[in-house]
Amino acid sequence: MSPHAGYNFGFLDEYAKKEIRRAILKAISIPGYQVPYASREMPMGRGFGTGGLQLTLALIGADDVLKVIDQGSDDSVNAVNLRRFIEMTCPGVSTTTRTQDATLIQSRHRIPELPLTARQILVLQVPYPDALVVVEASEEKRKTMHGEADYSRLLVKLYEDIVKFNEITISHRYPTRINGHYVIDPSPIPRWDVPELDHSAALILFGAGREKKIYAVPPYTKAQPLAFDDVPFRVEDFRDEQGRRRGCHRCGCTNSFLDEFTDSSGKKLYQCSDSDWCDGQRRSPRE
Amino acid sequence: MKIETIWQPETQQRVFRELVEAFSHPGDVRDLEPHVAESNAQRAVLAALMDGEVTLADPHQRISEQDWPLLQARREISEKASYVAASGSQPPDFQPALGSLESPESGAAILLEVEVIGQGQLCLQLSGPGVDGERALHLSGLHEDWLERRAEWVESFPLGVDLLLSDARRIVALPRTTRIRHAPHASER
Repeated sequence: MSPHAGYNFGFLDEYAKKEIRRAILKAISIPGYQVPYASREMPMGRGFGTGGLQLTLALIGADDVLKVIDQGSDDSVNAVNLRRFIEMTCPGVSTTTRTQDATLIQSRHRIPELPLTARQILVLQVPYPDALVVVEASEEKRKTMHGEADYSRLLVKLYEDIVKFNEITISHRYPTRINGHYVIDPSPIPRWDVPELDHSAALILFGAGREKKIYAVPPYTKAQPLAFDDVPFRVEDFRDEQGRRRGCHRCGCTNSFLDEFTDSSGKKLYQCSDSDWCDGQRRSPRE
Repeated sequence: MKIETIWQPETQQRVFRELVEAFSHPGDVRDLEPHVAESNAQRAVLAALMDGEVTLADPHQRISEQDWPLLQARREISEKASYVAASGSQPPDFQPALGSLESPESGAAILLEVEVIGQGQLCLQLSGPGVDGERALHLSGLHEDWLERRAEWVESFPLGVDLLLSDARRIVALPRTTRIRHAPHASER
């Protein structure tokens, strides 16, 4: 029992943790398959990362070092709240903002720029777990389509995009095929992060609290974004009008995912979305 | 009264994390020594995963009567149970649940105790998700019929069974996606 809050370590009771743990092991064993679980009520609204939080709480132990990020930032409201909640309910756990020091990383909408290692686990918060929801409303039918690896209607949807716009216009939640079978919604990460799923050294877990699903991309597993031979997958283009790669206005980095914003004079500025990466580049640009 | 370590939440969390590592890296032998104390690996794994929500089969009567109430799992026959705890030295004489296309997670997890993990006559070459290239796994005390039957059980992905082998202290996982090249008597390394 936690001396601070009067809650069980990790807030969840041990039965809830065991159920989530069993679902995690099944998710790893069936890469990309959405394992159903009884998502618990958490003391925060669904949609604020309760799926990711329940994964983190089922995984975490006193010897873990935790990092929580939201859109690449450790300091946004959502990340700070989740981190404080975990600190309060998991006495002994240490937290960090440095990617390389973390053993467990919970994230919303980004995969850290620094390549993850085999001793790390990444937990992604997922609003909509099923990539087929855009083409099929019935969950029962979607489950059959997933089982049969029947993604023809999803491919038609992508093809329609090409007919209309000459390219696939999906900016985030890019449907990605895991180990040649299941297609997942990789959560609202930008396209930039999708290649990181492929043969990642770290285990990547996805938790959808509202939709009550857990799925996984195990380490060293094939993850291919859906595409066509003649219209290959491509990531965001950060080149300016002259064709030069834009850099971060803060650290100068020219190989990170950039956020665009406008300063008070109306000028467009670009900055690394991953704040720990940006700080690291400022400390030692060649790190 | 002193509660045995394997029933304590802190130990169960650590055993679970070893299971996460094992299933994420098929063929990677994980040592549960610090967590099992005077018990054994299979029992520690059962303690970490079982509760009243799951069904467990014990075809070789390995689980003691004192443990059943602590595990809280419901007894089930091997053909239907979601978890089966068996002895790997005896040949399989049942057809486990393989799940369905819609719900492959209802394919069983089979916990098999063998003599030694990490060394031995039997050499398996593993590949598939979680394995960077290929990895060799040496074992002794596993009846080879298990590998033949497993090959049939995992033939139609996503249906299948997930194996967790254990000896006294160590565990190693063979989820349904792992491809096993069976080199029966390759003792050279």
